[in-house]
Amino acid sequence: MSDGDDLYRNVGRLTRQLHDALHELGYDRQLETAVGSLPDARNRLSHVSRLTGQAAEKVLNGVDRTKLELRGLADGAAGMAEALRADPVGAIASGRLMGFLDEVSASTGRADAQLTEIMLAQDFHDLTGQVIRKVVTLAQGLEAQLVKLLVECRQLEEAATGRPGEARAAAPAGPVLEGPVVMAAGRCDVVIDQGQVDDLLESLGF
Amino acid sequence: MVSTDRMRFLIVDDFSTMRRIIRNILKEIGYVNADEAEDGQVALSKLKGGSFDFVVSDINMPNMNGFQLLQSIRADESLKGIPVLMVTAEARKEDIVTAAQSGASGYIVKPFTKATLEEKVQKILLKAGR
Repeated sequence: MSDGDDLYRNVGRLTRQLHDALHELGYDRQLETAVGSLPDARNRLSHVSRLTGQAAEKVLNGVDRTKLELRGLADGAAGMAEALRADPVGAIASGRLMGFLDEVSASTGRADAQLTEIMLAQDFHDLTGQVIRKVVTLAQGLEAQLVKLLVECRQLEEAATGRPGEARAAAPAGPVLEGPVVMAAGRCDVVIDQGQVDDLLESLGF
Repeated sequence: MVSTDRMRFLIVDDFSTMRRIIRNILKEIGYVNADEAEDGQVALSKLKGGSFDFVVSDINMPNMNGFQLLQSIRADESLKGIPVLMVTAEARKEDIVTAAQSGASGYIVKPFTKATLEEKVQKILLKAGR
């Protein structure tokens, strides 16, 4: 038998011992729970990616529209100045000046509305921040489980026996509040827009 | 009745960005007098120390959350009449019902629009006769 075969056999035996010890200590279930939290973290991070993408699109669109308004105003002002220089009385008498002033008022109103949209798009900081906090909590829970496992494995190795584990890693206490809903599809315990909030409150007499 | 420009708002949210957004919208709709607090505890201390006419509060915050703040306001003789509008990402029906039963004057889910905030603030003020 070659040295390579011995090595594989030893690794196989150690793996079986580790598996049995983990099972005996109940850590296989804890690891399963810890690993089970990963899809939730993945969903939450995808949600963050989606929200930041939407916010960036909204901001870029708002900037494009605002720039268009500003360019229109600049062109209009240049044309108006030229008309006033060429024939000041005619520019006023024809109503061109008043027309331009009306357009300035309408255009600045539209630009202001775009700036409000850009400002509102910054809500992603709050909404994604809350989701990221949840992911950090999940990661901390996973880390705690793995550290506990490492400590127990070392003790196992030292004692060279599969003695029962002592204190187990406590599951992180679940937060009372849920924060932003990441996957609303198929859930009937959450609202998805302001209209549903208003309907619910109205049904309660508020 | 307090005039629009003198009405004093307290905006409570742990995210400074959101406090700034709400403050800017309130300014756009004519309410220029506003102060901010980063959690319920700071808010309660500010409310006890000064005269506020309206509270706009998040729910999920450290130290003291929005529900606890709302309950403290409603339990305090000198503060209980202040309208409290919840603006939050908490979208569970049970949270909305809890807020209503605890005495919230209105409930807005994030993300929201300028029109929604304006409508709710005005509706609450109209109801309160301010």
